[in-house]
Amino acid sequence: MNAPLIKLGRAGSFALLLFLPAPILVIAATSFAAAGYLRFPPGELSLRWYLEAATDPRWLSAFATSLVIAAIVAVLATAIAFAGAYACHRLKPRWLPAFELVVMSPLFFPHAALGVALVNVLALTGHLGTVVGIVAAHVVVTLPFAWRPIAVAMARIDGEIVEAASLLGADERRLALGIALPLARSGLVTALLFTFIISFDEVTVTMFLTGPETTTLPVQIYAFIQENASPVLAAISTATVVVTLAVVMLLERLIGLEFFVAHDPA
Amino acid sequence: MQTSATPRSLGWLLLPALLVLALFLGSVVLLFLNAFWTKDGFSLVYFRQIVERPDYHEVFLRTASISVVVALASAVLAYPIAWLLWRLPRWRNLLLVIVLVPWLVSLVVRTYGWLVILGPKGFLNEALAWIGAIQSPLPLIFNDLGVVIGLTHVLMPFAVIATLSVLLQIDTRLEEASESLGASDLATWCRVVLPLSLPGVFTGISITFLTSMGAIVTPILLGGLRQKMAGTQIYQEVVYNFNMSKASAWALCLLLLSGLGLVVLRAVEGALVPKADR
Repeated sequence: MNAPLIKLGRAGSFALLLFLPAPILVIAATSFAAAGYLRFPPGELSLRWYLEAATDPRWLSAFATSLVIAAIVAVLATAIAFAGAYACHRLKPRWLPAFELVVMSPLFFPHAALGVALVNVLALTGHLGTVVGIVAAHVVVTLPFAWRPIAVAMARIDGEIVEAASLLGADERRLALGIALPLARSGLVTALLFTFIISFDEVTVTMFLTGPETTTLPVQIYAFIQENASPVLAAISTATVVVTLAVVMLLERLIGLEFFVAHDPA
Repeated sequence: MQTSATPRSLGWLLLPALLVLALFLGSVVLLFLNAFWTKDGFSLVYFRQIVERPDYHEVFLRTASISVVVALASAVLAYPIAWLLWRLPRWRNLLLVIVLVPWLVSLVVRTYGWLVILGPKGFLNEALAWIGAIQSPLPLIFNDLGVVIGLTHVLMPFAVIATLSVLLQIDTRLEEASESLGASDLATWCRVVLPLSLPGVFTGISITFLTSMGAIVTPILLGGLRQKMAGTQIYQEVVYNFNMSKASAWALCLLLLSGLGLVVLRAVEGALVPKADR
């Protein structure tokens, strides 16, 4: 009927889709160019920018800091969300919708405003420019992203299973860790990997909170772009893309990506 | 589920989450205190500045107009991508990776990519010069155009996800019914699919608008320090001028402006989308 029209629409849409990874692919290509920039025709290939990045202690320490912070944040945010969502699931308080709205509220805060707000509070407690301060801020930022998949998975648990376990004498600890935890594991894994990657790649809020002693990889990339756009940046950036890609592929393998486009049943 | 006795100890499990929320809400309270309490005591000086100085009006106006353009552009450009993923269920997982990875890669990296592409000696200008299309490099960055291109690209994946999640809700029988009643593909899309998917489009617009209002990295790197947005001004006040009161006052005004934008958006959505669909 309208077959040519549909074909044209598909081709156009596909071109738009390829626009999304374009800048990332350009960076990856640059990182392998010996000249340090893209030329026509393309010049010699080399790994010298990767070698330079890997032997610079500033990049190694920022990379390690980012990985450690992301790992701590992922575990903390997921554990906090699991405990909270489990309590809400069991107690079914009347104020639950209001409470979940507060949990989600950092999502509705423009990041520049959230950054200033967190500087205010961390300056008061003396945690500005420390790993503890950045972890605390990242937990605030990532909690909504941990809460949602866990709450969704929790809502799918058959209440009768928990009831049966309870009647058979399982104590509260057993119910939470032996029954709810494994049954909600798809939500837990999604929350862990999702919060890890958000924390690892976060820059807008974090750039308010880093100090001379402690900085994360994305913030250091930002600082170096402003100073001098050396091709080493392309190699470092490609490394962060590889980490992100690896986590997304892991999530795809373990759980699938449907969560991102599934409608919230709650 | 309600077991016979709901132990009160379960309430303790909420404590860690409450602590995190207390940190967040406490920081918002401090934002208010700092904005009104300057080093000379209670003062409205920074709010008065914002109301009185024309250059500050310009910054807020630029922030809002860039954010509106970016939100609309991402909605329009994201829609076909979402449609493609919806129509190709067999390929959806692979295509979803192509959407999600750019979304999750740090925005500083994506912005850097645009610097490499659009810069005076960038990929695009070099390519155009090589084929002889231009004599001198086109000014694609360090202006509003660069900021709009960068922010739109950075925020588009979210609009794709928001739109796709609503498209996936549509009952395929509605489409079949429309086609069996003789509507063309285009008519079916215009009169069935598009109206039903509008709530997702609006979710996408709200989030991209909010994120763009609070953006710092992309405006600084692609717009330069002179093309200020509210976020870049706030960042400068904190990091270079150590003026927390001014930064807090700006943050509150930014919040107010973003909130107003959302209210207007809600009203537009209410006028365009029939109630039953929301």
